[in-house]
Amino acid sequence: MKRVHTGSIQTDYVLGGGFPHQSINIVMGQPGTGKTIFAEQMLFENAHGDRPSLFITTLSEPLAKAVRYVQQFAFYDEQKLGTDIQYHEVGSVLTATGPDGLMPWMTDMIKATRPKIIVIDSFRAIHDLATSVPQMRRIVSDLAGLLSAYDVTTFLLGEYTSDDIQRYPEFAIGDGIVELARRPLSTRDERFFRVLKLRGSNYRQGQHAFRIGAKGIELFPRLVSPNVPRDYQPRLERVSTGVAGLDAMVGGGLWSGSTTLVVGPTGSGKTTLALQFMLEGIRRGEQGLFVHFQENPSQLRRAIDSLGMSAETAIASGLHLRYESPVELEIDSIIVDIFEKIRSGEIRRLAVDAIGDLAAAASDAQRLHGYLYALVQHLTVHHVTSLLTFESVSGLTGNAEHEQRFSYMSDNVLQLDRQGNERTRRALRVVKTRHSDHDPDVREFVVREGGARIV
Amino acid sequence: MTDGRAIILVVERDPHVRDLEEYFLNDAGYEVEFALDGVAALALARTVHPQIIVTEILVPKLDGLALCRAVKEDPQLRGTAVLVFSILAAEARAREAGADAFLMKPLAERRLVETVRALLASRQHTASRTRRPPS
Repeated sequence: MKRVHTGSIQTDYVLGGGFPHQSINIVMGQPGTGKTIFAEQMLFENAHGDRPSLFITTLSEPLAKAVRYVQQFAFYDEQKLGTDIQYHEVGSVLTATGPDGLMPWMTDMIKATRPKIIVIDSFRAIHDLATSVPQMRRIVSDLAGLLSAYDVTTFLLGEYTSDDIQRYPEFAIGDGIVELARRPLSTRDERFFRVLKLRGSNYRQGQHAFRIGAKGIELFPRLVSPNVPRDYQPRLERVSTGVAGLDAMVGGGLWSGSTTLVVGPTGSGKTTLALQFMLEGIRRGEQGLFVHFQENPSQLRRAIDSLGMSAETAIASGLHLRYESPVELEIDSIIVDIFEKIRSGEIRRLAVDAIGDLAAAASDAQRLHGYLYALVQHLTVHHVTSLLTFESVSGLTGNAEHEQRFSYMSDNVLQLDRQGNERTRRALRVVKTRHSDHDPDVREFVVREGGARIV
Repeated sequence: MTDGRAIILVVERDPHVRDLEEYFLNDAGYEVEFALDGVAALALARTVHPQIIVTEILVPKLDGLALCRAVKEDPQLRGTAVLVFSILAAEARAREAGADAFLMKPLAERRLVETVRALLASRQHTASRTRRPPS
């Protein structure tokens, strides 16, 4: 099936390749969610010098605004304007004649310009001029007839809510319905893209985060569990943690491809343990990805330097550091980024310090757990051994829901603790190891210059 | 032909398709006649002798494929080409019925006009060959 590409590879991926050619689609979302940019990016993507595309404004956004703001995006190309992409306004016709003026105007426009894509922004606004529901139903049915008769792909944009899906007749004639949504989250907003319907397409369900930047819409497809290849074989190899004494406690090292959760209060040595695990990999010629949200890059380099290998050497030898400020944290972009690096096939070890920061940044705990679960599955399939840290407040993690879920998705759980006030002693206990015996005793965990070890 | 313009008989129920076909075929320089069903189309064809009949398969009384067979069996319409232009993916059935060309909807004016042109050129070529004196 021929597809209309959106100008974003990831959005096309979510749509199963793009919008089906010759389809009628509804792009719904509240004001400010990015509908106009979404449509304009698509028009510029499809401007190939053959037939023009039409961007038709009705009664909501003035034509000048739609044109003015598009110029700031990288996809904007002045050469395409007026030829490949034509902006028209039908608002004055509709005001003078009512919604019945739409059909003759549209028919004449198709005859005159022979477009390949038509965008109407906002279609919902036309309802405000209708004098009766049957009038609008007749117009929508007529319009669907015209747009289906001609070789054109159509997008009806509108500030529709989910209640409107039952109310407005355009939803019945739409081959595709996509939604752009925005949700306030502390100091910034989260944006989501969702496909509600796409006839004849195997699209990716669920909410996919996106952001609007200089390139336009940048989307992060929701991570789903991989289909385990038929020839997948777990590697029966042990991976050293790099912490003297710990390998023996977990039966000779961690299983390759396994995920270990390291839980402990602040100052208990979680970051040190995670870094040592990464540096051990570097010493063995294995590339590693360390994702951190707490220490800034300078602090982290100092921490690496204190563990017996300079940060410069570690980085030159294959240690990848990925820092994101917890304030700016966007879990979708982080997880997609981790996933892309894992898929490159060169990373053998991964540490995330700490997944609690991801949980704090996520507006939807269920969604975060789904993401992490899928990521862990991908790590296993790609034979990447991982270590996730989680800062506890009391008990195991201080958060029963996270504790249960993170523990469930992990193969191994290590618990770190601090005891005493005057002379702090750290302790480590192996809570769980999957498919392995372990030492159940609490052992002293000593952190010194040069690294941590079990006493 | 009227004023030297080729006549295209369009058999189509959908008003939007009819309107667009008329516009684009006129614009390309052809005279357009309409029929809403197969029986009316056959009668009109015997009167106006169109160079080409463009028919949807899904038309009442006599469907587009039956119309195509009837045209091909009618000695009066021997010179008329049939273009089946349908919402159905039925090219093989159209060819079996004797159609000279098949196009699927929706209407892409360039494909339609190019196909019509090719059919007319092919007809003229055949006509000039039949008129050529024996050597």
